Formats: sequence, structure tokens, C-alpha cells
Amino acid sequence: MISRYILIVGCGRLGSHLANQLSRAGNAVVVIDIDESRFSKLSPEFSGFRIEGDATQIAVLQSAKIKQADALIATAHEDNVNMMVSQVAKKIFGVPKVLARIFDPKHEEILSRLGIETICPTAAAASMFLHAIDTEHTSEKEAKT
Amino acid sequence: MNKQSILVVDDEKNIRMTMMHALETLNFSIITAVNGEEALQILKENPVDLVFLDLKLPGMNGMEVLQQIKSNWPNTRTIIITAHATVEHAVEAMKYGAVDFIQKPFSIKEIRELATSVINRQVPNESNTVDYFSLVSLTRQKINEQKFVEANEAIKAAIAANPNDPEAYNLLGAILEIKGDWLTAQKFYRAALDLDPTYKPAAINLERTTSWNRDGQVNLGTENYAFTTSENGTHKGKKND
Repeated sequence: MISRYILIVGCGRLGSHLANQLSRAGNAVVVIDIDESRFSKLSPEFSGFRIEGDATQIAVLQSAKIKQADALIATAHEDNVNMMVSQVAKKIFGVPKVLARIFDPKHEEILSRLGIETICPTAAAASMFLHAIDTEHTSEKEAKT
Repeated sequence: MNKQSILVVDDEKNIRMTMMHALETLNFSIITAVNGEEALQILKENPVDLVFLDLKLPGMNGMEVLQQIKSNWPNTRTIIITAHATVEHAVEAMKYGAVDFIQKPFSIKEIRELATSVINRQVPNESNTVDYFSLVSLTRQKINEQKFVEANEAIKAAIAANPNDPEAYNLLGAILEIKGDWLTAQKFYRAALDLDPTYKPAAINLERTTSWNRDGQVNLGTENYAFTTSENGTHKGKKND
């Protein structure tokens, strides 16, 4: 099994969930959050590292040994933080795989132009709603005819 | 050859788990201890080849454990586990005979490489003729050839052979500085100055790395070799004849 060195920025619902899963799968995981109390969301089996600090500061990323990272996932609750951290990871430290969670679809466009992969819960939810409403609509029509 | 055994001493469960996970697959036998007392008890019953030791332990502190290991089991090598903010303690521990250190957080790969390199590292003694001075000059030569991994190996062996000479700490600082780790480098320059406040090369390196314009010539303690770092991360070695 290949063990990767993964940095996760933000230890909220998404960050902690990813951290637990990736750690359980045998990766070395480092979670960074500005608020220490959020680390309580990590499961008891989490075998990675916790760093309390502001991930928008280069020194904090360096103390997490970002240069060695195989991947970075930005899951802070602010788009701006995720955009900044993911750009720093990609452009300054050359992290091979950088993923950012972005709420605003407009921001997503900017980041994709910069070569950063994004996941947008808003856009994802919207397309699922649209898909659901379309299939419902057509199945109702079919039922009438 | 017998299966090499490793003892991991850390009060944090996650560190012990990561270490176990990293080292098991390399065919080492791994034992863990949650504190210094338990570690010494384990060593009494069955001595190991290598110890990974956290300095911050509940009860008996890591430095005391290290001293006990050094006096009772001189053939056991110790690697210090340290947090980023407390590298000074690791420097101190190397003076007490720790062979190397690793900063948290670390990847599985880092642990494996370090454990393998320390286990394979020859212990300098009378039977192999490697003495402190030839290790130091070997280090300079490797830095000059830009073979930093080998330079790092040589200097760690030199410190193990003679932990009281400022020259080796200055060179270890130089290797770290060339690799871009300014802060840790400064700590080793300071360690060299602690041993001998009049040791010029370390004073020069420390002053340069703490100044506004930190790039420039790294002082390797001799006129014959020089090394220049520059802002874009490129560097060049030079041998002056």
C-alpha cells in the first residue's frame, strides 16, 4: 500500500471527516486549524498530526513540512482562505495535488484558470437538484400519457 | 543477520501508531513504551538496537532517559522526536549522544529512511578507522560535490564520534541552511557557539542568516571550501585552490 503525506487545512465537518478516513487508510495526515478545540472532531483512531495555526501563514505551512506533501486539501469555511492556501501550495511549494473546497461557483472559475482543482458543494448540489427535478418532471409526464 | 529491534517511546498514541505502521513493513521488530520508566524497564529485559525517543514525556523527561540509555546500553542508538518549536532540545540531546533527530510532523517515508540510514550507519570506533577529523573533511567534500545526503550521514557520524567540537555543529547547520531550513540551521550555529563562543565560522553564519540579506557565502570553517546560496534556491559549491 502506498502511504501519502497529506495536509488538510481546516478541521470542521469536512476536514475532520477526510482526515479520519485518510488516516485510517494508512496515510500520514497533518491537520491544520486555527482553533484547537476543533481537533476534538477527529476520531480516537486518527493517527496523524495536529497543528494549531493560521494556514495562510507560510511559516505554519512550513512547520507542517508542506514541501514533502503529496497532496493538500483546503477545507476552511472561507473561500478566500482556501483560495489563498491552495495557490500558495501550488505555486510556491509545488505540491503535486491541490484540492480546494469552494462555495461560490464564481470563485471556482478563477481557481480552475490557475490550475487548481476545486470541488464546489453549491454547484454539485444544484446539479443534483436539477437532475432530480428533471427526472421527476419527465416521469410525471410519462405517467399522464 | 538478526532482525533489528526498535523501541518507540512517546506518550502520544498517534505517534506510536504512525511509527508502528511505518516500521513494521521494513521487517524490524517494534516495541512501544508510553513513558521513560516503561522504556527503561523494557530495555532491562531486552536491549534494542534503536530507540525513537520523544523528549517531552510525562514523569521522567526524555533527556534523563537518554542519559540512562547512554550509560547503561552504549550500543543502543537513539533518535530524538521533536516538535518544530523545540529543535533546541534536539541539539542539546545530540550533545548527550543522540545520533539524529526528526521533527514532527513526519511522513511514513521519512521515518523509514531515517531508521534504515541510522541502522546502517557505521558506529565510529577503533576497528573502523573513521575518526572525527576525516569525517569532518569528508562532510566538506560531500557538500562541495552537492551530495547532501552523504554529507548529512558523515556529519552525524562525526558528531557521534565527538559531540563536543563546534566545527561539526557548524557544518550540520550549513547543510540545513543549504537545504533551505534556515531556522533549524541557526539553532545548530548557536549550538556551535555554545560550545565555543570564539568559533568564528558559526558566528559569521549566524550573523548572515539572521540579517536582512541572508543569502551569501556559507562558511564551512575552512578557507579551502566555500558554498554560496542565492534567493532563487540555486547554490554552487566551489573549491579554492
